[in-house]
Amino acid sequence: MELKIRKNGENYIIDVNGEMDLYNSYKLKELVMRMLEKKVEHFIINLESVDYIDSSGIGALIYICSTIKKMNLKLIITNIHGSVKKVIELTKLMGYFPITNSIEEAIQQMDD
Amino acid sequence: MSDTTYLSEMKEIRVDESSKLFDKNGMLYKEFASDYRQIRYYTLLIVQSAPLEIKEINLLEQQISEVIKNAVKHGNQCNPDKKVRVWYSFDSTHARLVVQDEGDGFKDMEKWNDFNRKRLELLSKHDFEGLADYVSFRTQKSDDNDGGNALFAALEYWNGGFVFDRSRTAVAMLKQFPKKKHSMN
Repeated sequence: MELKIRKNGENYIIDVNGEMDLYNSYKLKELVMRMLEKKVEHFIINLESVDYIDSSGIGALIYICSTIKKMNLKLIITNIHGSVKKVIELTKLMGYFPITNSIEEAIQQMDD
Repeated sequence: MSDTTYLSEMKEIRVDESSKLFDKNGMLYKEFASDYRQIRYYTLLIVQSAPLEIKEINLLEQQISEVIKNAVKHGNQCNPDKKVRVWYSFDSTHARLVVQDEGDGFKDMEKWNDFNRKRLELLSKHDFEGLADYVSFRTQKSDDNDGGNALFAALEYWNGGFVFDRSRTAVAMLKQFPKKKHSMN
């Protein structure tokens, strides 16, 4: 799994590339925690290049989402598709996670 | 706003020793050492027997990987001397597995069902704030890599049943795939 950060105004977009599985998912969690220490406030997690997620990956997203919610900061998860979407639906978390269909929509929501 | 669909289909994890899902006749068999690093590899060895017609093979692989992970990690505590035994059969209409470990059994089943019931109640009320405490099932043995959500999805995915034997060290499951739709009017 590869993680890349890019900046768009105040928003930090994390592009996740690869499989969010039991061996990798902690990396995303650790990256977000380091960014929080550096006072990043607006996160967009882009899952466009993620075709596989398991319960550890979902767990990482839950952890990130609840941490950011508690701190009153902003998070949007975007480009969820295929089996990743199916797993989140099976776990009934589509309504729990802040989700948009595209990065553009995510940026727009951040700015609202 | 209340959404009763979550409640009307409230599912539970049950013990059902006599379930025909445990009938191993004609099933393929593999056994593995409890090596955490090999869980996805073990899963691939099993899933490679699934026919190509099965759509969403990624999802099937993921769901099987969760059950094997539970056996390796929570059942056998990653003890390399303890085995995970897997019986499996696939065709274009179904996937069925029995996974057995050598651990103490799923003792927290009742707690898990209570937790899941509460989770579904909150979902039916669209209470996402309250839900925050019910998105991840934790026990004293849970660690940072445990998502605590695998069985929520398992109970939904394995639409033909997901049941334990009396010792709670073996779990049997069935996924029925939708029949192909023909375009005949």
